[in-house]
Amino acid sequence: MGSELRYEIGQNAYIKLVLHALKHRTSAVNGVLLGRLSGCGAVVEITESVPLFHSQIGLLPPLEIALLQIEEYYSDEGLSIVGYFHANERFDDFDLGGVAKNIGDHIYRYFPQVALLMLDNKKLEALHKGKDRSPVMQLYTRDSFKNWKQVGSDGSNRLVIKEPSANVLLLDYISSKKWQDMVDFDDHLDDINKDWLNPELFK
Amino acid sequence: MVSNREEAEVNRLENQVDNGGGGAWEYLCHVRKLKLRRSDKVLKHGLSILNDPKKRSSIGPEEWTLYEQVAIAAMDCQCLDIAKDCIKVLQKQFPGSKRVGRLEAMLLEAKGSWAEAEKAYSSLLDDNPFDQVIQKRMVAMAKAQGNLSGAIEWLNKYLETFMADHDAWRELAEIYVSLQMYKQAAFCYEELILSQSTNPLYHLAYADVLYTLGGLENVQTAKKYYASVIDLTGGKNTRALFGVCLCTSAIGQLVKGRSKEENDNSELQSLAAMALEKSYKQRAPSKLSLLNSTLRSLKLSS
Repeated sequence: MGSELRYEIGQNAYIKLVLHALKHRTSAVNGVLLGRLSGCGAVVEITESVPLFHSQIGLLPPLEIALLQIEEYYSDEGLSIVGYFHANERFDDFDLGGVAKNIGDHIYRYFPQVALLMLDNKKLEALHKGKDRSPVMQLYTRDSFKNWKQVGSDGSNRLVIKEPSANVLLLDYISSKKWQDMVDFDDHLDDINKDWLNPELFK
Repeated sequence: MVSNREEAEVNRLENQVDNGGGGAWEYLCHVRKLKLRRSDKVLKHGLSILNDPKKRSSIGPEEWTLYEQVAIAAMDCQCLDIAKDCIKVLQKQFPGSKRVGRLEAMLLEAKGSWAEAEKAYSSLLDDNPFDQVIQKRMVAMAKAQGNLSGAIEWLNKYLETFMADHDAWRELAEIYVSLQMYKQAAFCYEELILSQSTNPLYHLAYADVLYTLGGLENVQTAKKYYASVIDLTGGKNTRALFGVCLCTSAIGQLVKGRSKEENDNSELQSLAAMALEKSYKQRAPSKLSLLNSTLRSLKLSS
């Protein structure tokens, strides 16, 4: 049953996460994924994402506050936290670090089909070269031995973007430096005027 | 570290220059003074001065400082040819200079030629073992190659000599946090607080680390440090206000079933909650109801 589970990420959620990573390319960043289980339990729909932090990611207090607010806001829309996104500090670092695993473990307690997404820098760099429609991310899920395993590295499309032209739009945003408008939870805590919902981002 | 006012001033200048309003040199000086990392802008605006003979001569002898600044920015943006050109100019002007030698070694580092860069830096260090910039490059190289334990070792060695270097303590603390070595991170922040006891950001980071470490004693201490941040910042620091609420809630959980001695501490939490409410009402009214439910869930769990 677990091996058939597919993950589908919506365009806006996907693009937000990559833009966030590009805005803070000299540090690690993370974000939270929201969505629901659907298709009779066959698909996890990731419909929204919230970029969280770009500094001192291993600290609890800002994370706890963020998760409280995010859970509260999205439960009104019938969405819950279904995953976590992490982009490592270094370009060639493909290790899933302790912090990401801990946060993933925490989400697992409430949503066992949790998706851990890690930015794939090599794929991101190669994006403008080809017509790749697959997301520039690696997917990890928890197996029955409580380990995080990468899923889909054999080419099976376990993680797909809902809209096929998402990467084209992403490339467009990258060239227009759209990431400059991105607000994450760190920015909000530094200046509560800034809205982590980014309501105007895709208008 | 940069104050809000200083950052606002730099951003204003940046905006001005970006939109063709001039002031590039002033902007570049600010960035250099505050040691900010804005390499793409520095590269763009620095080159606009260097490539224009009239502008170049108007800054006189500072021209060479600008070449150095642009070279480093170019390396950060992986525009290695531009960096090489800047270094060539400096080599011509200052033949045999150690400072230029440093840039040459940095270029090797930027190319990813780690072994050659290390050789170059080591030989420069042989001549001047107290060159702080080069010692930090060794740390940076270790970090860039993913050798975090090596970076930690270098930094600790560096700090034995240069124990007043706050940036180094902060870098070390951040590396420890990324590796979830919170006790060691706490030690770094303790050193920083000892040397700069009125800097609220160190108190804040220390409190965050203590809370993350957990346990009744740590969370109680964290609460005291959040309170001192509130004191030092006139109640304006959102993170510290939230911190107080989190601590009170966590302490309540940890002492459940024990005596009621923690009751008087809930006054601090109410004050913090009120301050947060006032702040959100004024500046983020759309998030006010979210804030209220967050505060409610923190009070309930205690």
